[in-house]
Formats: sequence, structure tokens, C-alpha cells
Amino acid sequence: MNCKELAYLLADYFDGSMDPNLSAELDAHIAQCEPCMKFTKTYQTTCKTASQLRESIEYRIPDEVRARLASFLISAARKYPEQMEEYHRQAEQERSEKVQAFCRAATEEKLSAIAVLLVETHCATCPECKEYFDNLHRGQGKVANHPPRIQEHVTVLLESLPPGEEFFLA
Amino acid sequence: MSAERWKEDEDLLSRLRGGAPGAVEDLLRQYQGKIFNLAMSILKNESDAEEAAQDVFMTVIRKVDTFKGNSAFYSWMYRICVNTCLMRLRGKRRNDTVAIEDFMPVFTEEGMHASPMDDWSKEVERKALNEELGKMIRKFTEELSEKYRVVFVLSDIEGLSNEETAKILGMTVPAVKSRLHRARLYLREQLSRYLQEGKME
Repeated sequence: MNCKELAYLLADYFDGSMDPNLSAELDAHIAQCEPCMKFTKTYQTTCKTASQLRESIEYRIPDEVRARLASFLISAARKYPEQMEEYHRQAEQERSEKVQAFCRAATEEKLSAIAVLLVETHCATCPECKEYFDNLHRGQGKVANHPPRIQEHVTVLLESLPPGEEFFLA
Repeated sequence: MSAERWKEDEDLLSRLRGGAPGAVEDLLRQYQGKIFNLAMSILKNESDAEEAAQDVFMTVIRKVDTFKGNSAFYSWMYRICVNTCLMRLRGKRRNDTVAIEDFMPVFTEEGMHASPMDDWSKEVERKALNEELGKMIRKFTEELSEKYRVVFVLSDIEGLSNEETAKILGMTVPAVKSRLHRARLYLREQLSRYLQEGKME
């Protein structure tokens, strides 16, 4: 093992996921290589220092931000019981629209590569969705009135997209 | 995650769902620092982070009934936060990041360390985490492109496991590990240079 290989194995070395034999090989290299010993120590200190930052974080939220957040949310939450119905309706509608947009994109073959992959993986184990999406591709499906089961499954698919990632092609 | 934290979250969750008095206050007490900090680390701007935090908590309150509990409550919230922030970043100019490649360790053709190595671990540990060092770590972290920043903040600063970070970001565990490692190598190098400069003055 050389220094370069060692440097790229350090994350595994420290998180305990490394094979003991390989780990022993690293130990042996570090013991007789001064630059690597220094590199490894400072790498470890870097991680430790970053985690210490966690404790000081809570204090970093400015008081006025804290106060504004509290007053905004508490007043919003006070209306919550009355608005619960409305929130649910909104959330339901948002989801339904999103699923429709997803199905429309599937019909027009405008799904992003990752979304296509998600659909294919899901359809491999779900005959119901497979049939629905197959029909869509043949231009026979109904985008607007998808069955509740489809809605449920597509919602799960949408939730498994990486954050900030759109399901359609730009 | 500790069993205690899980229990607390379960409790908070059921009180939020039931609209119990004080539940929102508890939600804020427990999570506003974390959410604000995560938003800050992605958006790097206080007023943006404040608005994002507001959006995140509104979404949490609105959608708490539909949270299915197939992930931990806080990781669901972190995911909402990352989502909200990345949506906000979209379309914004971001040219204030550094190239991570410039801070990777350099090796000779034989794979040996090419530059002299300094061991500053004792020095830093002695100082514990002073304000100045904390500030520098924040600054260096902010200069990372968000691809690395988010992973680093969730895993190393927030202390989530690689599996949890992967779930929140919709990435594979090996991908999280590799980004995290690069972010650490970068930070190690930045700290080295920073401490070296301090010595020369």
C-alpha cells in the first residue's frame, strides 16, 4: 500500500467498516511513514473538530430570528385546528396534481432518466402500475382520473426522488 | 439515533397531530436551531435561511398528518429542509464556491505524499474549539459547493449516520461516503493552510 491509497481509505478506516486485515495493513503503513501518520492524525482531528461544532450551533440562530419564527408559527398553528380541513384538502390536491403531472410526463415521454428508472423498477413488481403505465404509453390511459392505488404508488415514487430533483426533463 | 430521542420525537409527533397546546413551541425548541443551521449551510444567507426555516416548519405542521413514519421524524424534516433550500437555490447565481480539487492531497508518481506534512492535531485539540477556529470551519464549509456541503453538514456536523444521510438525500451510501471523504480531505487541507499561515505571522 502506498500513501495515496491510504489517504483514500481513511473514511472506512475510521468508521469501523473496514476489513480487519486491511485495517492492520494501514496501521503497519502508518507506523513506518511519518507523513501518513501526520496526515491521518490531522484528518481525524478535522472530523472531531467538525463534530464539536454541533454543540455550539444552537446558539447561532439570532434571537430576532428565533422570535419571528416563533410568533409566525405559533399564530399559524393556532389557526391550525380550524384550518386542518383546508390544509388536508390543499395537501391532497397538491399530491394529486403532482401525480397527474407525473403521468402526463410519462405519456409524453418527458420523464427524467431517474424517474424512468424508478417507474421501471416499481412496475417490475407491481402489475397494477405496469398495466396503467403501459396503457399510458399506448395513449389509452386516463391521466386525470387515475385510480387511488396508482395515486398512492406514484406518490411513493415521487417521494423517493432525490431532493431538488425534478421528475421531468428540462 | 438514541431510543430516547426516538421516544421524544414520537411523543412530539402525536402531540402535533392532535394539535396539542405547546406542541409547536416544543417543535421549535427542539428543531429550530438544527433546521436554521442546515438552511444556513445550504443558502449561506441569514434572511434566506429564515424564510426557508419558516417554510419548512409550515410544511411540517401542514403535512404532519400525512407523515407515514417509514423514516425517523427528524430525517423527514431534514429532507423537507434540503428540498426547500435546493428549490430556493435554483436559478440563483452561485459562483462563490472553491474548486475542491485544489485542496486534495498531492502525491508523487510513486504514490507518496508530495508536500511536507505538518501535524497540528495536538495544537487544535489543546485549543479545544475556540470561536476563531469554529468561524474558520464555517467559512471553509460555506466555500464548498453544495454537493459536498450538504453531505458534510448532515454527516459530520449533525452527526447523522451515512445511511441516514443517504436516505435524506436520495443517494447511495457509497456515494455519500465518497463525498464526505472528499469534503473532509478538503477541510483538512484548508485547516492546514490556515494554521500554517498563523504560524508565519
